[in-house]
Amino acid sequence: MPSKSLAALERQVGRTVTTVEDLVVELGKVEEFARAIKDDNPVFRDEESAREQGYETVLAPLTFTRTAYFPRYRPDGVGLNHGFDLGFDQSRVVHGEQEYVYKQPIHVGDVISGETTLIDVYERTGSRGGTMTFAVFETVYRNADGEHVLTERLTRIELAGDGDGDD
Amino acid sequence: MVTAMTDAYKRRLTAGDISVGDTGPEVVVKDLEREDFVRYAGASGDFNPIHYDEPYARDAGNESVFAQGMLTAGFASHAISDWFGLDRIERFTIRFQERVFPGNTITVTGEITDVADGDAEVIVTADLEAKTDGGDVVLSGETVARLPSE
Repeated sequence: MPSKSLAALERQVGRTVTTVEDLVVELGKVEEFARAIKDDNPVFRDEESAREQGYETVLAPLTFTRTAYFPRYRPDGVGLNHGFDLGFDQSRVVHGEQEYVYKQPIHVGDVISGETTLIDVYERTGSRGGTMTFAVFETVYRNADGEHVLTERLTRIELAGDGDGDD
Repeated sequence: MVTAMTDAYKRRLTAGDISVGDTGPEVVVKDLEREDFVRYAGASGDFNPIHYDEPYARDAGNESVFAQGMLTAGFASHAISDWFGLDRIERFTIRFQERVFPGNTITVTGEITDVADGDAEVIVTADLEAKTDGGDVVLSGETVARLPSE
């Protein structure tokens, strides 16, 4: 179980932190990301191909905002935990779910910022007993004009530890 | 480097092209290697050593390093953006079910489960799944896209 009580985690629900600043969507980074996910679509590589497919310019892949974790885009003190101290044992944390709600595509040249809210925490009993703790973070991303481009929901799970079955 | 080719992105679907039960383009990523996890680490910024440091991963109780969940999610994103078009996808939901290990071949499939009429458009819902060559479901998910009526 986390080093903090469920009640202490619940008190953080609703808190919002600026987690992403000045994420400049660069052509080279978009191409590198597309290559890493093995997506061959030229829409991620050159403007002419993007126009042929009916887009203004090169677009970012649907999961591109994963790059928002690079330290360059993180305000001081935010790090990987979105600025929340949940007391999770990092060696037992897994990524359970991810959800995106798209308002408009992200283009090369966009400058993106993000604010993250802890929207839910809850416990469940694991399949082999013990307590699993879930935390759901919602990040709203906006472009430089303040337009909402996408919302991302990330569920992190602290799996039951060896000792938790006896709790 | 091998990329997973589908040519589906060359076609812009409209409402008349789709119905419940249709399946989407398959994205097949063959024989994943540790190098693929390292490349995704560099591209995405996910430098959790559990994805590339063998002793670290074993000490944490894993049989070996395993892929970032978001790498497999990237393979699924490829399938749906080729299928429906990047600008038409409204929602993409992913549940990570099992770890993906070096040597796995991953196949992403999708099937339309609902088509609802909107204003000059249809709202399409599809289930998504990524499986290993051994048949283990490693990722399940859903997407919602809006396609023009004509």
